[in-house]
Amino acid sequence: MALQSRTFRLSPFSILRPFSKPYRIPTALTPLPCRFRYLRCSSRSPLLARALSSAAAPQPTTTNPAAPSDPDEHKVLKAPQWKAVIDFKWIRENKEAVAANIKNRNSTANLDLVLELYDKLLNVQKEVERLRAERNVVANKMKGKLEPSERQKLIEEGKNLKDVLFTLEEDLVTLTDELQLEAQCVPNMTHPDVPIGGEDFSTVRKMVGKPREFSFSIKDHVQLGKDLDLFDFDAASEVSGSKFYYLKNEAVLLEMGLVNWAVSEVMKRGFTPLTTPEIVRSSVVEKCGFQPRGTNTQVYSIEGSDQCLIGTAEIPVGGIHMDSILAESSLPLKYVAFSHCFRTEAGAAGTATRGLYRVHQFSKVEMFILCRPEESNSFHEELIKIEEDLFTSLGLHFKTMDMATEDLGAPAYRKFDIEAWMPGLGRYGEISSASNCTDYQSRRLGIRYRPELSTIPKKGKGSSPPTQFVHTLNATACAVPRMIVCLLENFQQEDGSVVVPEPLRPFMGGLDIISYKYKQELV
Amino acid sequence: MALQSRTFRLSPFSILRPFSKPYRIPTALTPLPCRFRYLRCSSRSPLLARALSSAAAPQPTTTNPAAPSDPDEHKVLKAPQWKAVIDFKWIRENKEAVAANIKNRNSTANLDLVLELYDKLLNVQKVRFQFCILNSSFHLSERGKIRWQEVERLRAERNVVANKMKGKLEPSERQKLIEEGKNLKDVLFTLEEDLVTLTDELQLEAQCVPNMTHPDVPIGGEDFSTVRKMVGKPREFSFSIKDHVQLGKDLDLFDFDAASEVSGSKFYYLKNEAVLLEMGLVNWAVSEVMKRGFTPLTTPEIVRSSVVEKCGFQPRGTNTQVYSIEGSDQCLIGTAEIPVGGIHMDSILAESSLPLKYVAFSHCFRTEAGAAGTATRGLYRVHQFSKVEMFILCRPEESNSFHEELIKIEEDLFTSLGLHFKTMDMATEDLGAPAYRKFDIEAWMPGLGRYGEISSASNCTDYQSRRLGIRYRPELSTIPKKGKGSSPPTQFVHTLNATACAVPRMIVCLLENFQQEDGSVVVPEPLRPFMGGLDIISYKYKQELV
Repeated sequence: MALQSRTFRLSPFSILRPFSKPYRIPTALTPLPCRFRYLRCSSRSPLLARALSSAAAPQPTTTNPAAPSDPDEHKVLKAPQWKAVIDFKWIRENKEAVAANIKNRNSTANLDLVLELYDKLLNVQKEVERLRAERNVVANKMKGKLEPSERQKLIEEGKNLKDVLFTLEEDLVTLTDELQLEAQCVPNMTHPDVPIGGEDFSTVRKMVGKPREFSFSIKDHVQLGKDLDLFDFDAASEVSGSKFYYLKNEAVLLEMGLVNWAVSEVMKRGFTPLTTPEIVRSSVVEKCGFQPRGTNTQVYSIEGSDQCLIGTAEIPVGGIHMDSILAESSLPLKYVAFSHCFRTEAGAAGTATRGLYRVHQFSKVEMFILCRPEESNSFHEELIKIEEDLFTSLGLHFKTMDMATEDLGAPAYRKFDIEAWMPGLGRYGEISSASNCTDYQSRRLGIRYRPELSTIPKKGKGSSPPTQFVHTLNATACAVPRMIVCLLENFQQEDGSVVVPEPLRPFMGGLDIISYKYKQELV
Repeated sequence: MALQSRTFRLSPFSILRPFSKPYRIPTALTPLPCRFRYLRCSSRSPLLARALSSAAAPQPTTTNPAAPSDPDEHKVLKAPQWKAVIDFKWIRENKEAVAANIKNRNSTANLDLVLELYDKLLNVQKVRFQFCILNSSFHLSERGKIRWQEVERLRAERNVVANKMKGKLEPSERQKLIEEGKNLKDVLFTLEEDLVTLTDELQLEAQCVPNMTHPDVPIGGEDFSTVRKMVGKPREFSFSIKDHVQLGKDLDLFDFDAASEVSGSKFYYLKNEAVLLEMGLVNWAVSEVMKRGFTPLTTPEIVRSSVVEKCGFQPRGTNTQVYSIEGSDQCLIGTAEIPVGGIHMDSILAESSLPLKYVAFSHCFRTEAGAAGTATRGLYRVHQFSKVEMFILCRPEESNSFHEELIKIEEDLFTSLGLHFKTMDMATEDLGAPAYRKFDIEAWMPGLGRYGEISSASNCTDYQSRRLGIRYRPELSTIPKKGKGSSPPTQFVHTLNATACAVPRMIVCLLENFQQEDGSVVVPEPLRPFMGGLDIISYKYKQELV
């Protein structure tokens, strides 16, 4: 499980990746066994271990394929709040590939159960149709003239059929719900080039620059921030809790400068700027592939409502075209969204989280693309290229990784992470993440497009072409606190000052250096 | 109550003022009667009416001064989570002024009860003191020689107090106590318990007492608010104008529909130039205020509920303006005033460090409970918004002049944008409990056809600092020496807060005031450098979306 080698890149709850799906205590409100296993879909083996060991009480009975036949089990399952449009036929036709994918991603999705439920569902559907037909036959017979005894027989026959149908229709609903919950655990398929295995197997796609050599003893960003009066963690800890912070003085300018610079650079490349709601319905969080509830969730929930705080702008931007059919001509839709992000960082205690590296609240500029399926791979390349260009222009040393199968969240078909050198922390740290989610999110969010007639070979008599699901991609343009870590640590000078990279200066009123003299005389 | 005249300025839950404190259902977690009345401290009479009518079940017993004698009532009161350092002696010495102030502000604080509790507390303290002296003089060998009549006297004195609070002791209980008089610890223990209960009760009651009011503040309801200053005049349009909602729709600047699906009503996405406008406004405001010597901050937007309370807001209850985080004692901030107020919580500042001037950028979150049905079209009243807030901590003698400085900064900012606005000195009934005086700025919004509040500047004197525990130590030189070189006592700082830029309302103003006949909108000069030089928002810029 490569636990040892995780020291540096660990970040089990990355600021940039889709949040991981840690173990959650199943509650009455959420369907128990499936969600439980969903977590285990996660590639985070340390959490997995914990999940399994502490889960003695709520037995995940669905690991036993026979369980669904137990009627009591059915009652435990609540109906899903929403339905993903999952292509069960495709799954059945490609079950070997799906099974291999589940294995490669260290997911605990139960394919056998999905297939079994699907077969049952089809059988019940067939039976229902047969009985309905039979009932119609009986009903038709009764229209004619009949002997009273004959009529009585038919009435009874019809009544029996009605009863059986009623039961079967109920089964149909239960089966549909159960299948939905099980199938939602199945992770996205994986790009054929993605390395198979744990995090260690992730490959370096690109390496830019090299670690700066310092001729003096360097500080980490926490010390630099303290000396230059840029942060206040102590007051934030009293006012809010640990891992909160105030930014002060030039750090505020740096944050505003970074946000403006990132939005402006990405806009230049044809993206539409957005600011988003930071409170969203829990269902939207789920549809994007995150787990909004449970004790160990990464998501802050609002008391007394079905709303929660966003962990990333991916969620509200993903939702902006929810349940709609886009014109093909409008694609690709490219958005660059600025938002604050909020994460509980449950379970992150004890990990290397000094200073600004892992915090509960941060500003982030996020890119999001909705496109035709055939274009998603090339847009994924475009997104990682934008990230690389941005970080190169700031003069950072970084590497771009093609993340291995076990390190992908359920929605991602492929994920590229960028890890930049942080000399003060003495390690590479993740500063961005770009994922192609293909149709995983759009099947849940209900985002389709209608191909234009000309692009589709005509079949049939001028029938309008069927709608298709768009592909979605998301990528970090700038996660502010991690960028501040990078900038302070990489561009510190011997005198304790920090040089502001050229591209940011126009966005910071021309400020080129953060130095002591600027520091305000505070208490 | 001037309800009719409120049509325009209504905003019962203003984006800019300290949130009002609407009726909240008392919960087991919060002390019931006081908090209940606290709401009624609010000047919002419509809410008050609702509060009273729907509150049949949890009777606010404290409106009856006799109520505290019910021992069960005592048990209902939970201990406050924190204590404000309230100057009871001052209140007692100025009770006429305090009473008049409570009346002027239409507050329902119960001064009589506060004074009564305070007297009781002093009594118990005195009894305990005497008792301790008495007790400490006992030696085991002298136990037999205890002057029982003295103990009896003390106990009687205590019982006078206890009777008022707790009802009479059962005669048998009383007898038992007398008989077990030798068990002095029990007596002391009871005294200590009384002391704690009284202190808690007094604290809760006294927290309801609003700040005193600046002598120049007009007395009365909102109608009595006076205009301090009027800048510019309404622009005359030679064409049929649109409101900001229509302008935003035509120029593709907002998306309320998607936000309503994703989040709920009164949420929004900003799009295209509106995003640039927001970023430009924030940068411009922070930059302008920094120039005037303010330290920039970004703040946590999740804070402990106690900090919200200490700033004078009500974080819990069904009709609260505050979003709470599930399963924690944290909530979302409704204004950066809260985390900035908290940054020096429980500390003693050097006098030389004062004044501390901060300009903070944050997102703000408000439930807007109860705001349904009010005129809240478009961006005027929303659940989430960006705001740049000024905050000053200073010596008491300087707070009035800093209040003038803050309103001057606001006026300068809005004048430079070319807005037509008026500055109001808000009447007593329109002040939140923390404010000693409040200046609001209301700008002309031609599309909405009315003036709308775009900023608010309050001097809270020591109301917040007594709750947040922010003091300073005067330097020796500034204080006339008394005694033998003793270090001067600490004093509470004064706090002031003022809006520099509440983004959505500014967007409303800018779009509606600077619209052109062709549907485009001119960007005011001062903002252009912060928007990459953009000088006009027009159709041609609009992206071809779905």
